[in-house]
Amino acid sequence: MFTQTLLTGLAIGGIYALMAVGYSLVFSILNFSNFAYGSIIMLGAYIGYYAMVRMGMPIGLAIAVSIVGSGLLCWLNERLAYAPLRKRKASSLFFMISAMGTSIFLENLVYATIGARFYNFPELFAKSNLEFRGISIGVLDVFAMVFSFVAIYGLNLFLQKSRTGIAIRAASYDIEVCSLNGVNIAALIGLVFGLAGALAGISGMFLGMKYIVYPTMGWITNKAYIAAVIGGLGSLPGAVVGGVLLGVLETFVSAYVSSVVRDVFSFSLLVLLLMVMPTGLFGRFLEEKV
Amino acid sequence: MLSIRNLNVKYGQIHALHGISLEVETGRVVAVVGANGAGKTTLMMTLAGLLSPAGGEILFEGTALPKEAYKILGRGICLVPERRRLYANLTVRENLLMGAYLRKDKAGIAADLERMYDLFPIMRERIKQYAGTLSGGEQQMVAIARGLMSRPKLLLLDEPSLGLAPLMVQFMFKTIREINAEGVTVLLAEQNAFQALDMADDAFVLETGRVLVSGSGKELLENPLVRKAYLGVKH
Repeated sequence: MFTQTLLTGLAIGGIYALMAVGYSLVFSILNFSNFAYGSIIMLGAYIGYYAMVRMGMPIGLAIAVSIVGSGLLCWLNERLAYAPLRKRKASSLFFMISAMGTSIFLENLVYATIGARFYNFPELFAKSNLEFRGISIGVLDVFAMVFSFVAIYGLNLFLQKSRTGIAIRAASYDIEVCSLNGVNIAALIGLVFGLAGALAGISGMFLGMKYIVYPTMGWITNKAYIAAVIGGLGSLPGAVVGGVLLGVLETFVSAYVSSVVRDVFSFSLLVLLLMVMPTGLFGRFLEEKV
Repeated sequence: MLSIRNLNVKYGQIHALHGISLEVETGRVVAVVGANGAGKTTLMMTLAGLLSPAGGEILFEGTALPKEAYKILGRGICLVPERRRLYANLTVRENLLMGAYLRKDKAGIAADLERMYDLFPIMRERIKQYAGTLSGGEQQMVAIARGLMSRPKLLLLDEPSLGLAPLMVQFMFKTIREINAEGVTVLLAEQNAFQALDMADDAFVLETGRVLVSGSGKELLENPLVRKAYLGVKH
């Protein structure tokens, strides 16, 4: 029972971690919470659904289409909604309001065009399980877990080693100096949103396959947001740890206490943690010597 | 190399630079001195493209400068900003690599990293350390080295001696001369007027956004007006 719960928790934690990393990436560079991110994840699920079910693509290709589609949408989101604010040097409050507006717009766009119907992915392997020493875990869960961690690991490698990755980390610390070092900031921010969108595509696909596809499914990003805050907003290792921690703890609460109190637990955990550690587990370190 | 004509810069209602004109000739060390609020940093930030002028013109090697900061670096002008502003979350090596962001020649970058470690030997021991953990003097070395990694034609230094111990200030000015000897033209803004004038070829004194006097560094050291106002010498 314990190992079983742990594995299920890791699977959902992997998806939380993906979403939390997407949040944190954007936060680390522009210092605001991108509340439109949930809608991008929702659109990623729809794109995947159309690619796989309506156009009959194999699952691998459908995931790729969802990644590219969500990446482009997230990039477009920045171009249309945030770039004009950036040019006017608006405070982060305005970015947040614009993000909320974008989120409401996208959800209602889906209601108005596709409709409020719930869609199910075909039960490809949703119901098939792997059995091992009395532990049973869904193939989809294993796939989601492995794919999430590979994606996060790849992203981390990119951020640590590549020239552009170093520039993204530099910009997260001081965007102005980064432009003095020859970085085209507008292009770099576009890339960051594209990357966050790609992660949204992956998590949208897995969420859609695990549960169902519907216009307000993006609200599950509340959990990703909690995970990102627990880990310390803007910190990528923090987002991963926060996501996995939240996924595992939630699953344990569902299994051993009751699934009814699961969300109460998540939000209480957030409040408690913030009282003890206001900057989260891996809050940013800032040191300036004068 | 650089000629500034009738440059005006405003922050909203505040008129920070009132029609400044000055020349920087190739291969020289040029100092801009003046008190707090004279407009030194405004001038530096405008040259680097972080502020846009309200009027006047800036010509670099005969042509106007682009508007965006990253394109200006591409032209060969690099600003080492006031208070160094290193990336505290990156290692010393990564900070230096950021300086070389626009360069594609891997071998050249590796060779220049070595050159920087020779210029500031203490940095070699700090390669893998986060820049936020360095002392003020070490941070200033890394900041200058980061600027040099772009191989600038014109290096802009904003208050390189700010907050440094006296011995470190001397070392920094000596290093600036060495950098200049290797062919980099230097424009530096300094509050530390005496030492800046002493080492500079040419100098300008800025007061409330206007050029008060200009001349060679030695001339300005002897100028009674400058001596009284900035060097604290009584007559």
